[in-house]
Amino acid sequence: MMEIDAPDAQQQTQIQVKFVTRDPEIAVAAAPILVPTNLKRFGLSQVVNHLLSSDKSIPFDFLVDGAYLRSTLDAYIIQNGLSSETTLTLEYVRAAIPPKFLTSF
Amino acid sequence: SQDVSAVESSLAIRPKEEARELWQKYETATRSLSAGLCEQLRLILEPTQATKMRGDFRTGKRLNMRRIIPYIASSYKKDKIWMRRAKPSKRQYQVILAVDDSKSMAEGASSELALETVALVARALSSLEVGQISVLSFGADTRVVHEFEKPFTSDTGVEAFSRFTFAQQKTDVRKLIESSLSLFQTARNNAAGSPTELWQLEIVISDGVCEDHATLQRLVRKAQEQRVMIVFVVVDSVRESSILTLDTIKFVDGEIKQERYLDTFPFAYYLVVRDVRELPGVLAGALRQWFAESVEGA
Ligand SMILES: [Mg+2]
Repeated sequence: MMEIDAPDAQQQTQIQVKFVTRDPEIAVAAAPILVPTNLKRFGLSQVVNHLLSSDKSIPFDFLVDGAYLRSTLDAYIIQNGLSSETTLTLEYVRAAIPPKFLTSF
Repeated sequence: SQDVSAVESSLAIRPKEEARELWQKYETATRSLSAGLCEQLRLILEPTQATKMRGDFRTGKRLNMRRIIPYIASSYKKDKIWMRRAKPSKRQYQVILAVDDSKSMAEGASSELALETVALVARALSSLEVGQISVLSFGADTRVVHEFEKPFTSDTGVEAFSRFTFAQQKTDVRKLIESSLSLFQTARNNAAGSPTELWQLEIVISDGVCEDHATLQRLVRKAQEQRVMIVFVVVDSVRESSILTLDTIKFVDGEIKQERYLDTFPFAYYLVVRDVRELPGVLAGALRQWFAESVEGA
C-alpha cells in the first residue's frame, strides 16, 4: 500500500503531440508522439532534433494555433482550457534569432 | 479550478432516449457475436475437476490406497477407506466491465467501439447466468454505473449508456484499479458459496493511453495476489495513427529516450481490438489461457 502511494520519480505527465512544419527539409514523421508536458520551447527543440537525428542541433520555435509557445505545454494546456486528453499540433520553424528563453529552461 | 470542471463534465449524462437508441443499436449489431462468446465462456467455466475421486468415506466407488495400512494397523477401526466421485461445484464469476469515459476516447471512433464492446460482453455474461456483473466508468474519477447486486438487463444497459459522455479530462487508471480491487474484496466477502470457486475478472475497455506505468505494474501484481484477473482491451479505432506504433519520449537524466509506448504497458493481458467482431475470439483466448494457468497454480 505504502509503495503504491509513493509518487514515482520517473513519473512525468505526458501528452500526445504532432510535430508539423512547412519546411520539407526538416520534416519529421507526422504520427503523434507522447512527450512530457513540462517541456518548453528548448526541450521541444531537443525532441525534434532527436527525431531528425541530425549531427548539428537546430534551434526551433514552436507555434500552437498560430501563436508562439512561450511557456511549458502544461501551462499552455491550462491557460487554454485544454487537457492532456487531446492531441496538440505543434508547428515548428527555425528560430530566427538566438533564443531569449534559453536560460529559463 | 480544473478539478471542479472535471467532476462536472463527468457528471454530465446522455439523454435517456439517445442512450436507449444506442443500446438497441449495439445490442442488435452484436447479438450473434454475443451468443458465440457466451458459448465459449460456458466451456471455459465448466468445472474441469468434475471426475476426480475424493476420500474419505465408509462406502464408495474406489479404495483410497493411502488409507489401507492405517486401516489394518488400527485393527480395522479407521475404516474411512473409500473415495467417491466429487460433485462438480459450479464456478461463479464476478466481472467488472470498466469503460474509459475520458475525452481521448471521443477522438476517432474509440467510444463507439467501447460501447459496442460493453453491449457484447454484458449480454454474453448475463445469458450465462452464473455470476454478477458490475459496470464502472473511469476518467478523472471512477464511478459505479451498475452494481454487482442488480441483474444486468436491457434497461440497466440503457441506464449505463446514459452515464458515458466521454468528456472526462483525465485518464486515471491507477484510481480505477484501486477502486476495483476494493470493490472485488467486498463482493468476495458478500458472495455465496466457496470462495475458491469464485472467479473475479476485470475487463478494462480503453484507448490504452494512461500514465504512470511503474505504479500500475505494482497494482497489477497486487491484483494477481488477490486472484483478480485484469484483461485490458485496447480499442484501437481507425484513425490516423495506432497505439501499436505510438512512441513515447522521456527525459532520463537530461538524456532523451524514445521507446515504443506498449513496451512499458503494465497489463500482462492486453488485447488490441480494431473491430468488435475480433473481440469474442481474442477475449475467450485470453480467458482460457489465464484459466489454464490458474488451475495449474492452484
Ligand atoms: Mg484518455
